[in-house]
Amino acid sequence: MADIRTRYDALVIGGGITGMQAALDLGEQGYDVLLIEKYASIGGIMVGLNKVFPTLDCSSCICTPRMAESSHHAHIQVQTWAEVRQVEPEGDGFVARIERKARYVDEDTCIGCSKCELVCPVDVPHEFDQCLGARRAIYIPHGNAIPQKAVLDVEHCIFCGKCEKVCPTECIVFDQEPEMVETRVGAVIVATGLDITPMGKKPEYGGGRFLNVMNPLAMERVQSSNGPYGRVLRPSDGKIPRKIAYVQCAGSRDRSIGIPYCSRVCCMYALKQALLLRHYIHDVEVTLYHMDIRAFGKGYEQFYRRTMNEGVRVIKGKVATINEVENNDVVVRVELLDEGGRVEEHRYDLVVLAQGLVPAWHAHGVVACAEADDGFMATPEAKINPSYTTLVGVYVAGVAAGPKDIPDAIVEAGEAAMAAAGRLQRIGWHRAPAAAAAAH
Amino acid sequence: MGETKTTGKAEKPPRPIEILRDRMGGVSKELQASVKEQGRIRKALRSALAGGPRTVPELGAQCELPTPDVLWHLMAMRRYGEVVEAGEAGDYVRYALKGSE
Repeated sequence: MADIRTRYDALVIGGGITGMQAALDLGEQGYDVLLIEKYASIGGIMVGLNKVFPTLDCSSCICTPRMAESSHHAHIQVQTWAEVRQVEPEGDGFVARIERKARYVDEDTCIGCSKCELVCPVDVPHEFDQCLGARRAIYIPHGNAIPQKAVLDVEHCIFCGKCEKVCPTECIVFDQEPEMVETRVGAVIVATGLDITPMGKKPEYGGGRFLNVMNPLAMERVQSSNGPYGRVLRPSDGKIPRKIAYVQCAGSRDRSIGIPYCSRVCCMYALKQALLLRHYIHDVEVTLYHMDIRAFGKGYEQFYRRTMNEGVRVIKGKVATINEVENNDVVVRVELLDEGGRVEEHRYDLVVLAQGLVPAWHAHGVVACAEADDGFMATPEAKINPSYTTLVGVYVAGVAAGPKDIPDAIVEAGEAAMAAAGRLQRIGWHRAPAAAAAAH
Repeated sequence: MGETKTTGKAEKPPRPIEILRDRMGGVSKELQASVKEQGRIRKALRSALAGGPRTVPELGAQCELPTPDVLWHLMAMRRYGEVVEAGEAGDYVRYALKGSE
């Protein structure tokens, strides 16, 4: 594992699609970038998605080339399993303090053979699969992970030593310790991405309580060919679901849960998942209850029409409650808005709540950038300089600035990279310190 | 004046795994119980599957285990190459021990 140097041109916080794109756009211009990712692999949310809308391209097939490019780029240093703890202005630039968490594996000698994982006796719910599948206490994050290096979850380790015995390169380092490192950068790009609204936000929908009320990221994993079940099953008993409902606006556009904004992507990801369910399960009945469909992007309206043409029932209705009945089936009580508010109840094998997007990270206590009322990073010049934050030299891109889809996040990453590059030129940071001193 | 009794063997320094175990305060009772339970469930599932392919509800009934737990453990066994799919029975998938299907 390369040491973190004392100086880079830019620091990118977050190794998802937005952070990788921003790093690549800077790296391609010759700027040296430090890319920090908190998880053990880069790729973020996107590498775990099944397909993207409206093209239905395989998501990881688009994401993994970016991951490989970022990780092999001459001007980008990727540091996974690390977190930025503080960024403070210093002179023209910033000093960043970064915690490298203990992986308990020597990244330089680990060859990703998985022998440690195969011999480990402890199975743990796998976060990458939304806990529907298992990993071991020592594990390679997933099949597309970069780096393909093991990481030990010490909280679940029983210290049996089997991994150490079987490792062909003796790369298990039980005495590895976390370390705090410091570096100086001329610009910072925040690309920390998203979480979904907590499932328990609307208790009347039973999220987090009823086994067959699922979150949309779990459905992405279930639909993925490398997902936890290898096919679409419901979590309560492995039944192939034949009647499935989507409940839109289950975690956004709702003042009662403190999330008044539209998350912008829920209509499209739900339509995409619903259409794919029609492809994956013979004779499945899929109903999508919505307040209104927001298909705002290029080709999105056509995709919405296609979804209905291929048999997904799209009904304007406000879901009041979801209840669990025998066999863990779920009953949806819905007010049909196009039928004068008539109330109906329907029983389903599985319900997916179209949860909204919330920021995955908060600047407070780390960097002195203000947040907007909605919790996303404030962008005071949103119309003309959308990546500018309230702190000069710190830029934001992707969902860290507000809900958006993948194409918009990538465009914003490019904008943030150009803004950062402009600053690096203006302050003369890009030149080596010695050359910069000689020029004075 | 007291004499120190020597055995002739130098005390071995603790191994890194032992240092880490001590630093973590050993293995928690919860984790020990969870690993034990995992072993019990796996043994029951293997034993039931030795009788032929089964669906999740069938395994749940035979092993007297909740079906969500059966599914999770079965999928863990599938991921690590112990269990494979063996056809369908109505709305359910049948699973079998690898090599027995």
